[in-house]
Amino acid sequence: MASNGQTTTTLYKQTLLTGLWRENPVFRLLLGMCPTLAVTAAVKPALTMGLSVIFVLLCSNIVVSLMRNLLKPHLRILMFTLTIATFVTIADLFLKAFVPRMSETLGPYVPLIIVNCIIICRAEACASKNNLFISIIDALGMGAGFTLALCVLAGVREILSTGAVWEIKVLPAWFVPWAALSMPAGAFITLGLLLGLVNVISKKRT
Amino acid sequence: MSKIKHFIEQSWLLIIASFFFGLLIATANTVWSPRIEQNKITKINNLMSGLLPKAEKFELAAELQIKSSKGKKVKSNVYEALAERQCLGWAFNCEGPGFADKIELIVAVDKNFEKFAGYAVLASNETPGFGDRIKLSYYRQQFVGAPIGKLEIAKTGDAEKIDSEIVAISGATVSSEAVIKIINSFVVQVKKQMQEKGLIGNGK
Repeated sequence: MASNGQTTTTLYKQTLLTGLWRENPVFRLLLGMCPTLAVTAAVKPALTMGLSVIFVLLCSNIVVSLMRNLLKPHLRILMFTLTIATFVTIADLFLKAFVPRMSETLGPYVPLIIVNCIIICRAEACASKNNLFISIIDALGMGAGFTLALCVLAGVREILSTGAVWEIKVLPAWFVPWAALSMPAGAFITLGLLLGLVNVISKKRT
Repeated sequence: MSKIKHFIEQSWLLIIASFFFGLLIATANTVWSPRIEQNKITKINNLMSGLLPKAEKFELAAELQIKSSKGKKVKSNVYEALAERQCLGWAFNCEGPGFADKIELIVAVDKNFEKFAGYAVLASNETPGFGDRIKLSYYRQQFVGAPIGKLEIAKTGDAEKIDSEIVAISGATVSSEAVIKIINSFVVQVKKQMQEKGLIGNGK
Protein backbone atom coordinates (compact mmCIF):
# COMPACT_ATOMS: atom_id res chain seq x y z
CA MET A 1 0.00 0.00 0.00
CA ALA A 2 2.82 2.34 1.03
CA SER A 3 4.68 1.38 -2.12
CA ASN A 4 1.63 2.23 -4.22
CA GLY A 5 1.38 5.63 -2.56
CA GLN A 6 5.08 6.22 -3.13
CA THR A 7 4.74 5.27 -6.83
CA THR A 8 1.83 7.69 -7.25
CA THR A 9 3.79 10.50 -5.56
CA THR A 10 6.78 9.78 -7.80
CA LEU A 11 4.49 9.84 -10.86
CA TYR A 12 3.06 13.24 -9.85
CA LYS A 13 6.54 14.59 -9.16
CA GLN A 14 7.82 13.31 -12.50
CA THR A 15 4.83 14.76 -14.35
CA LEU A 16 5.48 18.14 -12.75
CA LEU A 17 9.22 18.12 -13.44
CA THR A 18 8.87 16.86 -17.02
CA GLY A 19 7.48 20.19 -18.17
CA LEU A 20 10.16 22.13 -16.35
CA TRP A 21 13.17 20.46 -17.95
CA ARG A 22 13.01 17.08 -19.77
CA GLU A 23 10.10 18.10 -22.00
CA ASN A 24 10.27 21.86 -21.56
CA PRO A 25 7.85 23.23 -24.21
CA VAL A 26 10.26 25.93 -25.41
CA PHE A 27 13.76 24.53 -24.96
CA ARG A 28 13.10 20.84 -25.63
CA LEU A 29 9.89 20.57 -27.71
CA LEU A 30 10.19 23.92 -29.52
CA LEU A 31 6.47 24.58 -29.13
CA GLY A 32 4.82 27.99 -28.79
CA MET A 33 7.57 29.73 -30.77
CA CYS A 34 5.32 32.65 -31.82
CA PRO A 35 4.92 34.19 -28.31
CA THR A 36 8.40 33.00 -27.36
CA LEU A 37 9.93 35.23 -30.00
CA ALA A 38 7.37 38.04 -29.93
CA VAL A 39 6.85 38.95 -26.27
CA THR A 40 10.27 38.36 -24.75
CA ALA A 41 11.77 41.82 -25.26
CA ALA A 42 11.16 42.44 -21.52
CA VAL A 43 10.40 40.30 -18.46
CA LYS A 44 7.03 41.87 -17.55
CA PRO A 45 5.20 40.96 -20.79
CA ALA A 46 6.91 37.57 -20.84
CA LEU A 47 5.67 36.80 -17.31
CA THR A 48 2.16 38.01 -18.14
CA MET A 49 2.10 35.80 -21.24
CA GLY A 50 3.38 32.86 -19.17
CA LEU A 51 0.70 33.33 -16.51
CA SER A 52 -2.00 33.64 -19.20
CA VAL A 53 -0.81 30.37 -20.76
CA ILE A 54 -0.82 28.66 -17.32
CA PHE A 55 -4.44 29.81 -16.78
CA VAL A 56 -5.59 28.62 -20.22
CA LEU A 57 -3.63 25.36 -20.00
CA LEU A 58 -4.97 24.59 -16.53
CA CYS A 59 -8.61 25.34 -17.42
CA SER A 60 -8.50 23.49 -20.75
CA ASN A 61 -6.79 20.44 -19.21
CA ILE A 62 -9.43 20.33 -16.45
CA VAL A 63 -12.34 20.55 -18.92
CA VAL A 64 -10.82 18.09 -21.41
CA SER A 65 -9.98 15.59 -18.65
CA LEU A 66 -13.52 15.79 -17.25
CA MET A 67 -15.14 15.12 -20.62
CA ARG A 68 -12.52 12.66 -21.93
CA ASN A 69 -14.87 9.66 -21.76
CA LEU A 70 -17.60 11.53 -23.67
CA LEU A 71 -15.40 12.74 -26.54
CA LYS A 72 -16.08 11.40 -30.03
CA PRO A 73 -12.64 10.75 -31.62
CA HIS A 74 -13.43 12.64 -34.85
CA LEU A 75 -14.79 15.66 -32.94
CA ARG A 76 -12.07 15.89 -30.29
CA ILE A 77 -9.92 18.57 -31.98
CA LEU A 78 -13.03 20.72 -32.44
CA MET A 79 -13.87 20.32 -28.76
CA PHE A 80 -10.29 21.15 -27.72
CA THR A 81 -10.27 24.31 -29.85
CA LEU A 82 -13.65 25.40 -28.52
CA THR A 83 -12.48 24.90 -24.93
CA ILE A 84 -9.17 26.69 -25.46
CA ALA A 85 -10.79 29.61 -27.33
CA THR A 86 -13.21 30.16 -24.44
CA PHE A 87 -10.51 30.45 -21.81
CA VAL A 88 -8.26 32.56 -24.04
CA THR A 89 -11.13 35.02 -24.57
CA ILE A 90 -11.66 35.20 -20.80
CA ALA A 91 -7.92 35.76 -20.22
CA ASP A 92 -7.89 38.47 -22.90
CA LEU A 93 -10.90 40.26 -21.38
CA PHE A 94 -9.33 40.03 -17.91
CA LEU A 95 -6.08 41.61 -19.10
CA LYS A 96 -7.97 44.38 -20.93
CA ALA A 97 -9.98 45.13 -17.79
CA PHE A 98 -7.30 44.93 -15.10
CA VAL A 99 -3.92 45.46 -16.80
CA PRO A 100 -4.79 47.49 -19.92
CA ARG A 101 -1.24 48.66 -20.54
CA MET A 102 0.08 45.12 -20.51
CA SER A 103 -2.78 44.03 -22.74
CA GLU A 104 -1.71 46.68 -25.26
CA THR A 105 1.93 45.62 -25.01
CA LEU A 106 1.03 41.99 -25.70
CA GLY A 107 -1.24 43.05 -28.56
CA PRO A 108 -2.52 40.15 -30.68
CA TYR A 109 -0.36 37.55 -28.92
CA VAL A 110 -2.92 36.88 -26.16
CA PRO A 111 -5.71 35.95 -28.62
CA LEU A 112 -3.09 33.92 -30.50
CA ILE A 113 -2.77 31.58 -27.48
CA ILE A 114 -5.74 29.80 -29.11
CA VAL A 115 -3.38 28.39 -31.72
CA ASN A 116 -0.51 27.79 -29.29
CA CYS A 117 0.62 24.20 -29.91
CA ILE A 118 1.50 23.58 -26.23
CA ILE A 119 -2.12 23.78 -25.12
CA ILE A 120 -3.64 21.60 -27.83
CA CYS A 121 -0.67 19.20 -27.47
CA ARG A 122 -1.29 18.76 -23.71
CA ALA A 123 -5.04 18.34 -24.27
CA GLU A 124 -4.36 15.59 -26.80
CA ALA A 125 -1.35 13.91 -25.18
CA CYS A 126 -2.30 14.16 -21.52
CA ALA A 127 -5.71 15.51 -20.51
CA SER A 128 -7.73 13.35 -22.93
CA LYS A 129 -6.05 10.20 -21.61
CA ASN A 130 -5.52 10.86 -17.90
CA ASN A 131 -7.49 11.62 -14.76
CA LEU A 132 -8.17 15.12 -13.47
CA PHE A 133 -5.32 15.23 -10.94
CA ILE A 134 -2.62 14.17 -13.41
CA SER A 135 -4.02 16.66 -15.96
CA ILE A 136 -3.82 19.51 -13.42
CA ILE A 137 -0.24 18.63 -12.48
CA ASP A 138 0.73 18.32 -16.14
CA ALA A 139 -0.80 21.76 -16.88
CA LEU A 140 1.07 23.32 -13.97
CA GLY A 141 4.37 21.69 -14.92
CA MET A 142 4.14 22.53 -18.62
CA GLY A 143 2.83 26.04 -17.89
CA ALA A 144 5.61 26.70 -15.38
CA GLY A 145 8.20 25.36 -17.84
CA PHE A 146 6.89 27.65 -20.57
CA THR A 147 6.80 30.67 -18.23
CA LEU A 148 10.30 29.94 -16.93
CA ALA A 149 11.70 29.66 -20.47
CA LEU A 150 10.01 32.91 -21.53
CA CYS A 151 11.33 34.74 -18.46
CA VAL A 152 14.91 33.47 -18.95
CA LEU A 153 14.85 34.54 -22.61
CA ALA A 154 13.26 37.90 -21.73
CA GLY A 155 15.70 38.45 -18.84
CA VAL A 156 18.74 37.99 -21.10
CA ARG A 157 17.26 40.22 -23.83
CA GLU A 158 16.12 42.97 -21.45
CA ILE A 159 19.42 43.13 -19.54
CA LEU A 160 21.53 43.30 -22.69
CA SER A 161 19.23 45.62 -24.66
CA THR A 162 18.48 48.13 -21.88
CA GLY A 163 20.92 47.37 -19.05
CA ALA A 164 17.91 46.83 -16.80
CA VAL A 165 15.67 44.00 -15.70
CA TRP A 166 12.05 44.54 -14.55
CA GLU A 167 12.88 48.18 -15.38
CA ILE A 168 15.53 48.24 -12.60
CA LYS A 169 19.00 49.22 -13.77
CA VAL A 170 21.43 46.36 -13.13
CA LEU A 171 24.34 47.06 -15.45
CA PRO A 172 26.84 49.90 -14.89
CA ALA A 173 26.42 53.25 -16.67
CA TRP A 174 29.35 52.57 -19.03
CA PHE A 175 27.51 49.60 -20.56
CA VAL A 176 26.32 50.39 -24.08
CA PRO A 177 22.90 48.72 -24.57
CA TRP A 178 22.59 46.30 -27.49
CA ALA A 179 19.33 47.65 -28.91
CA ALA A 180 19.33 44.92 -31.59
CA LEU A 181 18.47 42.34 -28.93
CA SER A 182 15.08 43.97 -28.33
CA MET A 183 14.25 43.51 -32.03
CA PRO A 184 12.96 40.34 -33.72
CA ALA A 185 16.46 39.35 -34.88
CA GLY A 186 17.62 39.58 -31.24
CA ALA A 187 14.89 37.15 -30.23
CA PHE A 188 16.08 34.55 -32.76
CA ILE A 189 19.75 34.98 -31.79
CA THR A 190 19.08 34.74 -28.04
CA LEU A 191 16.77 31.75 -28.45
CA GLY A 192 19.36 29.99 -30.62
CA LEU A 193 22.12 30.57 -28.06
CA LEU A 194 19.92 29.39 -25.17
CA LEU A 195 18.86 26.28 -27.12
CA GLY A 196 22.54 25.51 -27.69
CA LEU A 197 23.27 25.99 -23.98
CA VAL A 198 20.38 23.71 -22.98
CA ASN A 199 21.65 21.05 -25.38
CA VAL A 200 25.17 21.25 -23.94
CA ILE A 201 23.85 20.94 -20.37
CA SER A 202 21.60 18.01 -21.35
CA LYS A 203 24.49 16.17 -23.02
CA LYS A 204 26.69 16.67 -19.97
CA ARG A 205 23.96 15.29 -17.70
CA THR A 206 23.50 12.09 -19.74
CA MET B 1 -35.76 10.25 -37.76
CA SER B 2 -32.68 8.07 -37.57
CA LYS B 3 -30.64 10.87 -39.15
CA ILE B 4 -31.71 13.29 -36.40
CA LYS B 5 -30.91 10.68 -33.75
CA HIS B 6 -27.48 10.14 -35.30
CA PHE B 7 -26.87 13.90 -35.42
CA ILE B 8 -27.81 14.32 -31.75
CA GLU B 9 -25.73 11.30 -30.70
CA GLN B 10 -22.68 12.70 -32.43
CA SER B 11 -22.97 16.33 -31.47
CA TRP B 12 -24.81 16.64 -28.14
CA LEU B 13 -21.59 17.31 -26.23
CA LEU B 14 -20.52 19.95 -28.74
CA ILE B 15 -23.92 21.70 -28.53
CA ILE B 16 -23.98 21.69 -24.71
CA ALA B 17 -20.32 22.78 -24.50
CA SER B 18 -20.92 25.62 -27.01
CA PHE B 19 -23.88 26.83 -24.98
CA PHE B 20 -21.96 26.62 -21.69
CA PHE B 21 -18.81 28.29 -23.06
CA GLY B 22 -20.90 31.01 -24.73
CA LEU B 23 -22.57 31.70 -21.40
CA LEU B 24 -19.17 31.85 -19.68
CA ILE B 25 -17.81 34.39 -22.20
CA ALA B 26 -21.01 36.45 -22.08
CA THR B 27 -20.78 36.60 -18.26
CA ALA B 28 -17.13 37.65 -18.33
CA ASN B 29 -17.90 40.26 -20.99
CA THR B 30 -20.88 41.67 -19.07
CA VAL B 31 -18.90 41.90 -15.84
CA TRP B 32 -15.72 43.42 -17.29
CA SER B 33 -16.87 45.47 -20.31
CA PRO B 34 -17.74 48.63 -18.27
CA ARG B 35 -14.23 48.53 -16.83
CA ILE B 36 -12.69 48.01 -20.28
CA GLU B 37 -14.66 50.96 -21.68
CA GLN B 38 -13.61 53.09 -18.71
CA ASN B 39 -9.95 52.17 -19.31
CA LYS B 40 -10.22 53.38 -22.91
CA ILE B 41 -11.82 56.68 -21.85
CA THR B 42 -9.22 57.17 -19.11
CA LYS B 43 -6.38 56.61 -21.57
CA ILE B 44 -7.75 59.11 -24.10
CA ASN B 45 -8.38 61.65 -21.31
CA ASN B 46 -4.86 61.20 -19.94
CA LEU B 47 -3.33 61.71 -23.36
CA MET B 48 -5.45 64.81 -23.99
CA SER B 49 -4.55 66.21 -20.55
CA GLY B 50 -0.87 65.72 -21.37
CA LEU B 51 -1.30 67.70 -24.59
CA LEU B 52 -3.49 70.46 -23.15
CA PRO B 53 -2.44 70.52 -19.46
CA LYS B 54 -4.40 73.66 -18.58
CA ALA B 55 -7.72 72.08 -19.53
CA GLU B 56 -9.99 71.10 -16.62
CA LYS B 57 -12.20 68.83 -18.65
CA PHE B 58 -12.79 67.54 -22.16
CA GLU B 59 -16.24 67.46 -23.70
CA LEU B 60 -17.17 65.56 -26.83
CA ALA B 61 -17.98 68.29 -29.37
CA ALA B 62 -18.44 66.37 -32.62
CA GLU B 63 -18.26 62.93 -34.16
CA LEU B 64 -16.83 63.33 -37.64
CA GLN B 65 -16.32 60.98 -40.58
CA ILE B 66 -12.87 61.56 -42.02
CA LYS B 67 -11.41 60.04 -45.18
CA SER B 68 -8.07 58.44 -44.29
CA SER B 69 -5.03 58.43 -46.60
CA LYS B 70 -6.15 54.97 -47.83
CA GLY B 71 -9.57 56.36 -48.78
CA LYS B 72 -11.35 54.60 -45.90
CA LYS B 73 -13.89 56.50 -43.79
CA VAL B 74 -12.68 56.77 -40.20
CA LYS B 75 -14.64 58.04 -37.21
CA SER B 76 -12.92 60.92 -35.47
CA ASN B 77 -14.20 62.22 -32.15
CA VAL B 78 -13.42 65.88 -31.53
CA TYR B 79 -13.16 66.93 -27.87
CA GLU B 80 -13.30 70.50 -26.65
CA ALA B 81 -10.76 71.32 -23.94
CA LEU B 82 -12.41 73.54 -21.32
CA ALA B 83 -11.14 75.58 -18.38
CA GLU B 84 -13.55 77.85 -16.49
CA ARG B 85 -16.06 77.31 -19.32
CA GLN B 86 -13.60 78.78 -21.82
CA CYS B 87 -12.41 76.83 -24.82
CA LEU B 88 -8.65 76.24 -24.66
CA GLY B 89 -8.32 74.03 -27.67
CA TRP B 90 -9.46 70.90 -29.42
CA ALA B 91 -8.29 67.32 -29.48
CA PHE B 92 -9.25 64.58 -31.91
CA ASN B 93 -8.25 61.05 -32.76
CA CYS B 94 -6.78 60.07 -36.11
CA GLU B 95 -5.20 57.01 -37.67
CA GLY B 96 -3.33 55.73 -40.69
CA PRO B 97 -0.76 53.18 -41.82
CA GLY B 98 2.64 53.11 -40.15
CA PHE B 99 5.76 51.06 -40.92
CA ALA B 100 4.56 47.85 -39.27
CA ASP B 101 0.91 48.40 -38.46
CA LYS B 102 -1.77 51.05 -38.04
CA ILE B 103 -0.77 54.13 -36.02
CA GLU B 104 -3.49 55.79 -33.91
CA LEU B 105 -2.87 59.30 -32.64
CA ILE B 106 -4.50 61.98 -30.52
CA VAL B 107 -3.81 65.40 -32.00
CA ALA B 108 -4.40 68.63 -30.08
CA VAL B 109 -4.73 72.10 -31.59
CA ASP B 110 -5.37 75.59 -30.22
CA LYS B 111 -8.89 77.04 -29.93
CA ASN B 112 -8.74 78.77 -33.34
CA PHE B 113 -7.33 75.76 -35.14
CA GLU B 114 -4.25 77.76 -36.10
CA LYS B 115 -1.43 76.00 -34.24
CA PHE B 116 -0.73 72.47 -33.10
CA ALA B 117 -0.59 71.81 -29.36
CA GLY B 118 1.05 68.47 -30.04
CA TYR B 119 0.23 64.83 -30.58
CA ALA B 120 0.31 61.64 -28.55
CA VAL B 121 0.38 58.03 -29.69
CA LEU B 122 -2.78 56.13 -28.78
CA ALA B 123 -1.67 52.85 -30.35
CA SER B 124 1.20 51.74 -32.56
CA ASN B 125 3.31 48.67 -33.28
CA GLU B 126 6.34 50.42 -34.76
CA THR B 127 9.79 48.81 -34.55
CA PRO B 128 11.12 48.90 -30.97
CA GLY B 129 14.15 51.15 -30.66
CA PHE B 130 13.51 52.82 -34.04
CA GLY B 131 9.98 53.56 -35.24
CA ASP B 132 8.56 53.57 -31.73
CA ARG B 133 10.58 56.73 -31.05
CA ILE B 134 7.59 58.63 -32.51
CA LYS B 135 6.36 58.37 -28.90
CA LEU B 136 9.36 60.27 -27.54
CA SER B 137 9.26 63.96 -26.73
CA TYR B 138 12.31 64.65 -28.95
CA TYR B 139 10.12 64.14 -32.01
CA ARG B 140 6.76 65.19 -30.58
CA GLN B 141 8.08 68.56 -29.35
CA GLN B 142 8.61 69.68 -32.95
CA PHE B 143 4.83 69.75 -33.44
CA VAL B 144 4.08 71.95 -30.42
CA GLY B 145 3.36 75.42 -31.80
CA ALA B 146 3.77 74.37 -35.45
CA PRO B 147 1.31 76.14 -37.79
CA ILE B 148 -1.76 74.20 -38.95
CA GLY B 149 -1.36 73.43 -42.60
CA LYS B 150 0.74 71.05 -44.61
CA LEU B 151 3.61 69.75 -42.48
CA GLU B 152 6.68 68.58 -44.35
CA ILE B 153 9.35 66.04 -43.46
CA ALA B 154 13.05 66.90 -43.56
CA LYS B 155 15.85 64.36 -43.19
CA THR B 156 18.19 66.90 -41.59
CA GLY B 157 17.71 70.27 -39.97
CA ASP B 158 17.21 72.01 -36.68
CA ALA B 159 14.70 70.00 -34.65
CA GLU B 160 14.34 72.85 -32.14
CA LYS B 161 13.08 75.30 -34.74
CA ILE B 162 9.27 75.33 -34.69
CA ASP B 163 7.85 75.59 -38.18
CA SER B 164 6.06 73.42 -40.72
CA GLU B 165 9.25 71.44 -41.38
CA ILE B 166 9.59 68.40 -39.11
CA VAL B 167 12.99 66.72 -38.81
CA ALA B 168 12.63 62.94 -39.19
CA ILE B 169 13.85 60.47 -36.58
CA SER B 170 17.17 59.02 -37.67
CA GLY B 171 16.64 55.37 -38.67
CA ALA B 172 12.86 55.71 -38.63
CA THR B 173 12.03 57.93 -41.58
CA VAL B 174 9.02 55.80 -42.59
CA SER B 175 7.40 56.06 -39.14
CA SER B 176 8.20 59.79 -38.92
CA GLU B 177 6.66 60.36 -42.33
CA ALA B 178 3.63 58.22 -41.45
CA VAL B 179 2.84 60.47 -38.46
CA ILE B 180 3.04 63.58 -40.65
CA LYS B 181 0.86 62.01 -43.38
CA ILE B 182 -1.80 61.02 -40.82
CA ILE B 183 -1.83 64.47 -39.22
CA ASN B 184 -1.84 66.28 -42.59
CA SER B 185 -4.74 64.22 -43.94
CA PHE B 186 -6.87 64.56 -40.80
CA VAL B 187 -6.26 68.10 -39.61
CA VAL B 188 -7.44 69.76 -42.83
CA GLN B 189 -10.63 67.69 -42.98
CA VAL B 190 -11.39 68.08 -39.27
CA LYS B 191 -10.91 71.85 -39.52
CA LYS B 192 -13.15 72.06 -42.59
CA GLN B 193 -15.94 70.00 -41.01
CA MET B 194 -15.67 71.98 -37.76
CA GLN B 195 -16.07 75.21 -39.71
CA GLU B 196 -19.08 73.78 -41.55
CA LYS B 197 -20.65 72.85 -38.23
CA GLY B 198 -19.95 76.35 -36.92
CA LEU B 199 -17.81 75.09 -34.04
CA ILE B 200 -14.90 77.29 -35.09
CA GLY B 201 -14.66 80.48 -37.11
CA ASN B 202 -13.70 80.60 -40.78
CA GLY B 203 -10.45 82.32 -39.92
CA LYS B 204 -11.15 85.22 -42.15
